[in-house]
Amino acid sequence: MHRIWNRIDFAFGSAWQNFWRNAAVSIASVLIVWMVLLSLGSLLMVLNSLQHILTLEKGRASAISIFLADNTPLSSAMDFKLQLMRDSRVSAVSYVTKEQALVRFQEMPTLSPDLIAALGSNPLPASLDVTVKDIRSLADIDKMVRTSPLVDKSPATNYSPDVIDKIIVLARVAGIAGVVLIVGLAALSLFIIMLTIRTAIYMRRKEIEVMKLVGATDWFVRWPFIVEGLMVGVLGAVVAVIIVGLGYRPAEQYLQPRLVFIPLFYDPEFLKVVLAGMLAFGLLLGTVGSYLGVRRFLRQ
Amino acid sequence: MAAVAVAPERPQISLQQVGKTYPNGTVALRDVSLAVPKQDFVFLVGPSGAGKSTLVRLLIREEKASEGSIQVDGQELNRLRRRHLPYLRRKIGMVFQDFKLLPNLSVFENVGFALRVTEGALRHLKPKVEEVLSIVGLEGKENKYPDELSGGEQQRVAIARALVHDPKIFLADEPTGNLDPATSWEIIQLLLQINARGTTVLMATHNREIVDVMRRRVVAIDGGQIVRDEDAGGYHAPNLEPH
Repeated sequence: MHRIWNRIDFAFGSAWQNFWRNAAVSIASVLIVWMVLLSLGSLLMVLNSLQHILTLEKGRASAISIFLADNTPLSSAMDFKLQLMRDSRVSAVSYVTKEQALVRFQEMPTLSPDLIAALGSNPLPASLDVTVKDIRSLADIDKMVRTSPLVDKSPATNYSPDVIDKIIVLARVAGIAGVVLIVGLAALSLFIIMLTIRTAIYMRRKEIEVMKLVGATDWFVRWPFIVEGLMVGVLGAVVAVIIVGLGYRPAEQYLQPRLVFIPLFYDPEFLKVVLAGMLAFGLLLGTVGSYLGVRRFLRQ
Repeated sequence: MAAVAVAPERPQISLQQVGKTYPNGTVALRDVSLAVPKQDFVFLVGPSGAGKSTLVRLLIREEKASEGSIQVDGQELNRLRRRHLPYLRRKIGMVFQDFKLLPNLSVFENVGFALRVTEGALRHLKPKVEEVLSIVGLEGKENKYPDELSGGEQQRVAIARALVHDPKIFLADEPTGNLDPATSWEIIQLLLQINARGTTVLMATHNREIVDVMRRRVVAIDGGQIVRDEDAGGYHAPNLEPH
């Protein structure tokens, strides 16, 4: 017990001394770890938002709203609905009145009350919301319904085949760019941590020489430097976790009114996972960086 | 009455046909064989670059021999695994010409440092440090820092640090190299005292006066080879003694 306590006390005491003796380099490495983890956390949150949008759009994609001209009698609309329901490619059809369309529009979280008030009379058309069995038949149905005289011409439907493809491409590009950025920054932070540990080793080289001379084990010599790397990783991670943890909700609230048609998501469960992941990655960076830094020296 | 055969005691330090060649091709030692029994006191003499320090470094396995075999306290050093090396070093006390004290630690902390980093029982740290400081005559200087001490006192601290593990072997590489003659004699008296307590002492030195007066075993090295191994010898071979 005494032995373990001695080892912990010595490792933490020396690491703390190293950190402050070497303050400029230590703080630089904390900053770089912080930058890496902040980028990682932000990227994961953005990718998560894109994933949500993608799921939503995919769900929407199997449905199409056919907008009806304002003068369409209800009986014609019902006939049209029955005609569509008889189509083997269609799984469900529902009629949405102009009033229901306005309520839906008002419920969109991204719209400000001013915008809704500015609409005056209800400009939204009634529609038939058609859900298809196979997403690939959407294009044909879209083409078919456009020929009906009941259908509004501006626009006839909300069919937009490009949206999903664009989101997929955006998510892929964001993912690849993010991974490249994070791998680059992670490599840089490993290098900086190694440099910090090397500087600490250089400053304590006489002490290390004496330790080895009097019979300290390699691990006893290593621990203070590993702990120092760990401190750098954890400090960088904690600052990044605080910023992402506290800043994500306000950032989402700030951005949402400015990005009206992009639904941003606040997912507290995923945020927790991301924060835990950032902390773990900070620990990993610190430990691996310091281990690499100390390994070569002790081999000599 | 039949004579009882007594097996000769294994030497504490044994070198057999040891050679050391550095990667750049410099031959530091060649065909060195030496046996040092327990409790012996040996002066290792020779000109600068003769190979004395290399020999000392081989004994603490700071360097590995290129050929031959070295045994220290029964352990074959060439076969010793790296992870066992610290335990070998705890059996050997070592002092140097430049003392190798840590300037930011007090006398007490410098000596205690050796116990802390080798994970000795901390409850014994204070009494043990006090005991070795009293052996080297530094009672009352526990709280001084190295730069507040004379050269002789600093070497005493280094000796105290080397003694804190009760080593079986004491290696001194030019311990009086930076000291004036009077202080050098005090350090030698201390080494004799350590030897009298049962510790084997091997001292590499240039100090001709001390070697000549002490008349102990002298091993002379020149050009990486042992050129003389003499009990109760002097610094120079008898036929080379200046008249």
